[in-house]
Amino acid sequence: MRNGVLNKVIAMFWRLVRGALFRQKRKMLMIAFTVALGASLATAMLNVMLDVGDKVNRELKTYGANINVIPKEASLLDDLYGVSEGRGVSDRHLRESELGRLKTIFWAFNIVDFTPYLNAEARMSGLDEAVRVVGTWFAHREDLPTGESLDTGMRNMKSWWSIEGDWLSDGDTDAAMVGGLLADRAGLAAGDAVVLESAGARRELTVKGIFEAGSAEDERIYVPLSVAQEMTGRPGLVSSVEVSALTTPDNELSRRAAQNPKSLSVKEWETWYCTAYVSAICYQIEEVLTDAVAKPIRQVAESEGTILEKTKLLMLLITILSLAGAALGISNLVTAGVMERSREIGLLKAIGAGNAPVSWLILTEILITGAVGGAAGYFAGLGFAQIIGRTVFDAAINIKPMVIPLVAILVFLVILAGCIPSIRLLLSLRPAEVLHGR
Amino acid sequence: MYLLDLQGVSKIYGSVKALQGIDLTVARGEWLAIMGPSGSGKTTMMNIIGCMDKPSEGKVLLGGVDISAESARNLTTVRREKIGLIFQQFHLINYLTALENVMVAQYYHSMPDEQEALQALARVGLSDRAKHLPAQLSGGEQQRVCIARALINYPMLVLADEPTGNLDEANEGIVIDIFRKLHDEGSTIIVVTHDPEVAEEAQRTVILEHGRIARIVENRKGGQEAKV
Ligand SMILES: Nc1ncnc2c1ncn2[C@@H]1O[C@H](COP(=O)(O)OP(=O)(O)OP(=O)(O)O)[C@@H](O)[C@H]1O
Ligand SMILES: [Mg+2]
Repeated sequence: MRNGVLNKVIAMFWRLVRGALFRQKRKMLMIAFTVALGASLATAMLNVMLDVGDKVNRELKTYGANINVIPKEASLLDDLYGVSEGRGVSDRHLRESELGRLKTIFWAFNIVDFTPYLNAEARMSGLDEAVRVVGTWFAHREDLPTGESLDTGMRNMKSWWSIEGDWLSDGDTDAAMVGGLLADRAGLAAGDAVVLESAGARRELTVKGIFEAGSAEDERIYVPLSVAQEMTGRPGLVSSVEVSALTTPDNELSRRAAQNPKSLSVKEWETWYCTAYVSAICYQIEEVLTDAVAKPIRQVAESEGTILEKTKLLMLLITILSLAGAALGISNLVTAGVMERSREIGLLKAIGAGNAPVSWLILTEILITGAVGGAAGYFAGLGFAQIIGRTVFDAAINIKPMVIPLVAILVFLVILAGCIPSIRLLLSLRPAEVLHGR
Repeated sequence: MYLLDLQGVSKIYGSVKALQGIDLTVARGEWLAIMGPSGSGKTTMMNIIGCMDKPSEGKVLLGGVDISAESARNLTTVRREKIGLIFQQFHLINYLTALENVMVAQYYHSMPDEQEALQALARVGLSDRAKHLPAQLSGGEQQRVCIARALINYPMLVLADEPTGNLDEANEGIVIDIFRKLHDEGSTIIVVTHDPEVAEEAQRTVILEHGRIARIVENRKGGQEAKV
């Protein structure tokens, strides 16, 4: 019996809501569309924001290594005189054969890429001063002690270099890549031959590619590691290694550890060691490479964090603005709708409907419309998220289910906010005035 | 005790004195007509009696209770529980059927009851039009739906502001017949009209001029059946 009554009440309420929805089809469509727009942007931004930590990190790693590994003595000179790695000053080297061990450290999974460098000085045909020749891996397959293998090298680490011509491969022992600035000075173009002379040895190489890195590298010549080892007579040796690792942002603990690991308690030390702080990863690298010093490249490591934060802030801003825009749009549409229906609303009030029931009626209509728009917007937003992921971060965005309740709540709040002006109008609406056409 | 008792009621809009010192009593079961030239304050008076407006001065006792100082919220309740309103322009909700238009009043009053709503339509002779939308009904039929809606919650007082103003003679006759029937059943009715023939049906006619009661006429014909 009670059920029957409830059903009748609901049926009547639904009849009123549905009537209004269908009568104002165009306006409701506009409201749904507005909500969809806001919801889709919020969905896209939230999904990207929540998933982007790794993505941005992976993207930023392409803007350079974040750890530099050099031999101990070289490091000492560096510290004392500010002489950077090698410069031919140091005889000390790292061993190429040990590099695979980088993928055996505790945070092996976070080591994304690494590439060795062997520096040499040489005279180049057509130029007076000596040039820096760097031997490296381009696309190297390293067999790891674990039995797996890893493809790494310059092509991964310097993927943003713009190349005229082609990347070298590690088998191109009679070819070189020349930095843009150096190529300009020497008048070289891709396909030209270049002669390098060092320690009496002479080598003729074909310029396979000319690159723009936008940094000091543009003054250098890159050759396969084996070529540089041969030129310098240092088989199996490298001057330094650049490592690209995913790291956890520094905090108080990691800063203390970086200053002096011995100042930590055993427990703190364990926490630090088992967290992917850049200092912990450096420490672990030093553990596996003989006489090596690993140092974070500060600026890059820090800018990663700030860029990520700024990207997130920007997305948050876009989300807030788009939702505020949606609320404004809704408030205009709903207010116009209430004005159009003032006679109907006045009538409901005249026959005894209180302010609350009439407000609920309007709100229900808008919430239903908004829910439809919100759902459509959510799915559109998933699409947007993928487009952003593809174009900006070069990766698919993982859909986070927690975005659904978040967007639902946001849409709900936006609709409430959007309905405030019309509800105020509705409350001030006096039946005597609208019903007699005054 | 009178059902309705106006004591020195005035309504002032800025410089316009729409009503000035109205004293009027209406007995339970009485049928009263209000006439007067345009702008004489008829609608203003109906709005005050119908709890849609408040007087600037004076008291309005409805069933012995002073409603002149009530809050808007309480006035809504009084309107819902005690007043049935009929308008010149019908004011039906155009996306609801005749039946549903009646049921809306039930819905906001207590609960929708389809059987009762159908009976109300039957009383105004519209049983066969229950499922029609307002746009599918003639003006007279729409006004009858409006009357059925006004009566559905058994109001203490039925107020009609020019209920026949938009109707032709035939439909006017039908509406007057309904009022007559209501009167016979004991309803208290106040009708504003420009039409002397409609006014004659009532027991008394109050004539307003410039917001004052110019005179009150006892109608010989009006309400005779009821007196018997
Ligand atoms: N809300 C208002 N604001 C200002 N003046 C008003 C308002 N309502 C009514 N008036 C004025 O009060 C006077 C009485 O108006 P009212 O509507 O009661 O007249 P009426 O007798 O119903 O006229 P009609 O026969 O044309 O319907 C008129 O002069 C009108 O202009
Ligand atoms: Mg009037």
